Amino acid sequence: MYRKFLRLTKSLTVSFEKSLNLLTTQEHNPLYFHGALPLYVFWFLIFSGIMLWMYYIPTLDRAWSSVNYISALPTPGHPISEGGGIPYGAVVRGVHRWGAAAMMIVTLLHMFRVYFTDRHRSWRWLPWVSGVALLVFVLFIGLSGYLLVWDARAYYMVVATQHFLDAVPGLGAALAAFLVGGEGITDYTLTRFLFFHVGAACFLFWLVWMHFIRLKEPVVTPSRATNFLVLGFILLAAGTLPAINITHELLAKYGNDPRIAAQAAYVASDAPAQIGVLVDTIRYDAWYMFPYWLIQNLGVTWAWLILGGSTVLLCVAPFYPKDRRANIAEVIEAKCTGCTFCSLDCPFEAITMQDRAPGSKFKQIAVVQSARCSECGICVGACPFQAIELPELHSKTIEGDLLALLKKGA
Amino acid sequence: MPEATPKRTIIGFVCERSLPLDRMLDAHKALQDDPDTRIVIVPCSGMVKPTQMELALANGADATFVCGCAIGDCHYRTGNLMIRERLEGKRNPKLRKTTDRRKVGMFFLTMKDKLPFLEALAAFRASLEQPAPTEAGEI
Repeated sequence: MYRKFLRLTKSLTVSFEKSLNLLTTQEHNPLYFHGALPLYVFWFLIFSGIMLWMYYIPTLDRAWSSVNYISALPTPGHPISEGGGIPYGAVVRGVHRWGAAAMMIVTLLHMFRVYFTDRHRSWRWLPWVSGVALLVFVLFIGLSGYLLVWDARAYYMVVATQHFLDAVPGLGAALAAFLVGGEGITDYTLTRFLFFHVGAACFLFWLVWMHFIRLKEPVVTPSRATNFLVLGFILLAAGTLPAINITHELLAKYGNDPRIAAQAAYVASDAPAQIGVLVDTIRYDAWYMFPYWLIQNLGVTWAWLILGGSTVLLCVAPFYPKDRRANIAEVIEAKCTGCTFCSLDCPFEAITMQDRAPGSKFKQIAVVQSARCSECGICVGACPFQAIELPELHSKTIEGDLLALLKKGA
Repeated sequence: MPEATPKRTIIGFVCERSLPLDRMLDAHKALQDDPDTRIVIVPCSGMVKPTQMELALANGADATFVCGCAIGDCHYRTGNLMIRERLEGKRNPKLRKTTDRRKVGMFFLTMKDKLPFLEALAAFRASLEQPAPTEAGEI
C-alpha cells in the first residue's frame, strides 16, 4: 500500500516535471537542482545577515531602535523618509526577510521532491536524517531571527516559547530559564538570541557536511537561469516590500498607503517590545511561525505532540518499508587491480580503496561498505576488469542475454 | 520498384526506471513498436559497460544505444552522467577508438517519455541509413 503510494507520487512528480520542462527546458528546470537551491539561498542570508549585524545592537533598549535605524530610510519614492538610517537598509533587511522565506520554500521543495520520488530510504538514511536536522535548524534560525527585532511580537514569542518549554517534565523550568539566560529577560537575553541565530547558522555548515558526506559530487550550484530567477524574485520582493518596523504612529500617519498596508501585513515588524505587556495575538508569517499558531490555538500539549511527532515520523521515514537488499555489489578479489574506477564513480561513497597485504600482486583492493550500497551497478559499469559484480545480475548474464537476443533475430 | 529498407537490428540497454518498459516490450524483449530493436534491461544506465555495447556490435547488431533517466534526474544520482561521459570518451572505461560512433546512441528520458523515445529511436534508425561521409583516413 505504502509502496504503491510512493510509486504514485513518483509518477505524478515526473509528470509535473515534464510539464515544467515545457516552460523552463530540461536544462534549467529548478526541480533538477532542488538540492542546490537551499545552499544558494543561504548565501543571500549570510551576506545580508553580515550587513545587518554591523549595525545591530543586542540590548533591550537598543535592539529595536538599531533595527529601525537600519531600515528607516527606505528606497527612493517610499512614503516614509524621516528618521535617518542606512541607505537601502530596508532593502538589505528585505533581502534577509524574503530570503528567509525563500529558504524555507526551497528547503521544503527539496524535501518533498526527494520524498515523492522515493529517494529518501534505505542507504540514503543519513542524507535524509541530516536533512530533517537541517530543516529543524532552518526553522530555529528563522524564529530566532524574529526575536532579534525585539518588537511586541518577539516578546510574545519569548513568553510563548517559555510556556512551551515549561511543559517538559522535570526540565521545563530549567529550559525556560536557559532560553532567556536567567530568571528574567535582560540584555543577556538578546545576546543569547543573537548567538542562537548566528551560532545555529554556523552549525548549519556542519549539518550540510553531514548531509553531503555520503554523496559523490553533490550538486551545489543551480543552473545559471535558475540562479537569476531566484535572485530576481528575492530582489523584486525586497525592493517592492522592504522590511521595516511599523509603529502605531506610523500606521496612523501612512496607513492609507497601500504599500505600507502590504508591508504591515507581510513583512513589517511591530512596535518595540515592552516587558510585561503581552499583545493578544500576533501576525503569523507563512513559513516559520506555525509553531506559535499551534501553541496559541491548540495548546502546548498538542503543539509538542504535532511538532515532536512529525519530526520523529520524518526521522524514521527512511527505514520503512525495508527492501530485500540481495544485490549488494561484491568485489572479486583475484581480479581487482586497485584501479579506483569503481570507487571514483560510486554515487554514494560506498566503495573505499584499501591496501592489500605486502607482497600482493596489486597494491590496493576495492571494498564495498554494504550499508551504503544502492545496488545500482554503476561500479560494475566502471570496472574494466570484471572485478566487481551484482550477485543477482552478473555482467556475464547481461552479455549472455544480449547474445541470445541477437541470435533470435538472426 | 523501390528498394526495401534493410533490416537493422538494434540492441538497446535501457534503465528500468527510465522508460515504461512493462508496456513497451513483447515476450521476446523486442519493442512492440519496433520489433528489430531488442532491449537489455539494467537497473541503471550507469551499469552499462562500453565493452558490452561493442560486444553487441561485434556479434551482429547494426547499432546499439543506451537509455537512462533524464539528465538531472537519475534515481542513483549520477548513473546517466557516468555512461554519457564514458561514451563521450570523457571518463574511463571508454569506447575503443575504433568503434564506429555513428552506431552508438544515447537517450535520456523519463518514464513518461514513450513517444519521444520512439521518435528519437526512429531518428537514430534513419541516421544509420545515411551514407557515410567520405572522411580522409576513415577506417
